[in-house]
Amino acid sequence: MALTRNISADGKVVTIKINGRFDFSVHQEFREAYDAGRGKASDFVLDFANTEYIDSAACGMLLVFRDAVGGNSANIGIVNANHEIVKTLTMLQFHKMFKIA
Amino acid sequence: MNAPPAIKAVTRLADVAPTEMLNAQRQPLKILVVDDEAVFRALLQNLLEKMGMQVVAVGSGAEAVASFMHDQPDMVLMDVMMPGVDGYQATEYIRDLSGDSFIPIIFITTISDEDELAQCVMRGGNDFLTKPINPAVLQAKIEAFSQLRRLYKAVKSQRDELAQHNRWLKREYEIAEGVFAKVMHSGGLTSPNIKYMLSPQAIFNGDLLLAAYRPSGELHLMLGDFTGHGLSAAIGTIPVADIFNGMTAKGFPIPEIVAEINQKLQRILPRGLFFAAALLELDAKNHKLSAWVGGVPDILIYGAEQKALAGRFTSTSFPLGVMATDQLDCHVESMEVRPGDRIFLYTDGVPEARNSDNAMFSQERLEQCFNDGYEPSVLYERILWELDQFRGAPEQSDDVTLIEVTVDPSVSNPQATSNALAPRSPSEWSASFEFSAESLRGYDPLPMMMQVLLETQRLHQHKQRIYMVLAELFLNALEHGLLKLDSSLKEGAGGFGEYYQEKERRLAHLNVGVIKVSFRHAVNGSGGRLAIQIEDSGPGFDFQQRLKQVDENPGIHGRGIMMIRSVCESLVYSGAGNIAEAVYPWSLGDGLD
Repeated sequence: MALTRNISADGKVVTIKINGRFDFSVHQEFREAYDAGRGKASDFVLDFANTEYIDSAACGMLLVFRDAVGGNSANIGIVNANHEIVKTLTMLQFHKMFKIA
Repeated sequence: MNAPPAIKAVTRLADVAPTEMLNAQRQPLKILVVDDEAVFRALLQNLLEKMGMQVVAVGSGAEAVASFMHDQPDMVLMDVMMPGVDGYQATEYIRDLSGDSFIPIIFITTISDEDELAQCVMRGGNDFLTKPINPAVLQAKIEAFSQLRRLYKAVKSQRDELAQHNRWLKREYEIAEGVFAKVMHSGGLTSPNIKYMLSPQAIFNGDLLLAAYRPSGELHLMLGDFTGHGLSAAIGTIPVADIFNGMTAKGFPIPEIVAEINQKLQRILPRGLFFAAALLELDAKNHKLSAWVGGVPDILIYGAEQKALAGRFTSTSFPLGVMATDQLDCHVESMEVRPGDRIFLYTDGVPEARNSDNAMFSQERLEQCFNDGYEPSVLYERILWELDQFRGAPEQSDDVTLIEVTVDPSVSNPQATSNALAPRSPSEWSASFEFSAESLRGYDPLPMMMQVLLETQRLHQHKQRIYMVLAELFLNALEHGLLKLDSSLKEGAGGFGEYYQEKERRLAHLNVGVIKVSFRHAVNGSGGRLAIQIEDSGPGFDFQQRLKQVDENPGIHGRGIMMIRSVCESLVYSGAGNIAEAVYPWSLGDGLD
């Protein structure tokens, strides 16, 4: 399983955990994961604890995801990302669009 | 041969079978029956015809081969023991003749020894039947093979279709690659001060490397990377290259090119697809390097004198195509460079190159190369060597794109005059412009004015010189007249950088002042005289004193004045020194630049 999703009891927080490489191959699964929580959820958390690597296509998917869950008003946190991933996201200035912790 | 019981059974089966015994084209299956015994042959023929099949019956192995070629049956029932060419041999021939189409061959034999039966399959049969023939078994086997044959045919036609499709796709890619290669290789990459290694899959990796010269001689270089792979990544390279090459040739500065590309991509790219890039401008004559970096690794500068990393440009902006242009930071950062310094750009394929242990080459290892004191001239090769050593498999160096630009004031546009249009015959005209502080803050009017000059009189062959005159006069008016910058700032160590930083700072806060530019063109024999007059609202300067200094110490003071004088027939200051007029003469015969 490349991806697991967890929705809080009140349905407000959706946590998506991505395992291994985050690239275009998880595109469909990733989409389904956030689609399921839309409407009710107000906060999204991407847990990268087990994510080894993120490629540019996946960065594109993050933008699509952000648009889908509210664009500028979306509340998306990225947690537990490794050093390389944080570097990539910062290079792309994604820290201005996502809360990277 | 114990035929009689079989016949009864067949009549019964034949009544239900005919519609089943059709091949894929809804034609009756054609069966070749081979047996040297005429009675058995007739019996089998009768049996199969009643099942609704078309039958060709022959009495020898040799006839079987001939009939196979002539009648093209769907299936063969083959007697093993025959005089002359026996069943095994005939089967071998038929297999050779049938190529890659699937013709089931069923041996009919009296043998009941298991080893012998196995032999039937070894020798190219698909199955066997022992005499006496049980019609039900015969029909079941034929039906099974008929189905298998249909399946085989379907797979084969799909395979052929796929192969055809692949050939077609390959051709499309070749055509696309040709177009993209032209897009990539138009422009200034042939400059002697640029070395680069481009991944052979660059285009379909969405990587784009372009270089071009502004009319005023500065080099523009762009390295970028579209998200994703394949045609979808490559498709955006065409509009980007068009904008980059076109705007650079017209003299637009980097921030405006960045904004224009972003605008375009924002409009055409689907969400999720974007273009991470670095654009730089090298003004080698004035020792100035400016860059904009959005979403790609740091540009690294190797100092020739200190033989160490002398500076870097780090990503400060979103990639292109992500944000609306008004939310994008298009500003460039600048630094001073010296002749001989090396500028390095690379895609993330370099730091992310992996060895057999799946470890990454890393930014740290890359930057270590910059701090080992190598001669500037060997650093490029050194980096590639280190990369190969690290990976241990040089043939993998496929996704590495590395570019080195040497700061060399003697290099100029290799294609300067290649497609310049001849000037229009001279005419009398004039044009004038007035720029307020507000418009000067966010806009460089030089490209627009050049465009007007070029369109009106088509002075392309004089582009570089006219640009130089216009730019010198205009920048003097802006930097000294309105911004009141002191040239002596440029003189100290790191002076250029300081000077340009100060310029940016003051320009951002400029809110009073005006610059007026007027052009007057007059006919002069077979050519013309272009008078450029620039007036600023600043306090002016003691131009008598300045001109005297220039005359007394050529080369030390007023390089700009000397450059203008070298191509103009006159340069006159008036008013309080806040009005300058230069006259540039040209004639139709000039093929200069």
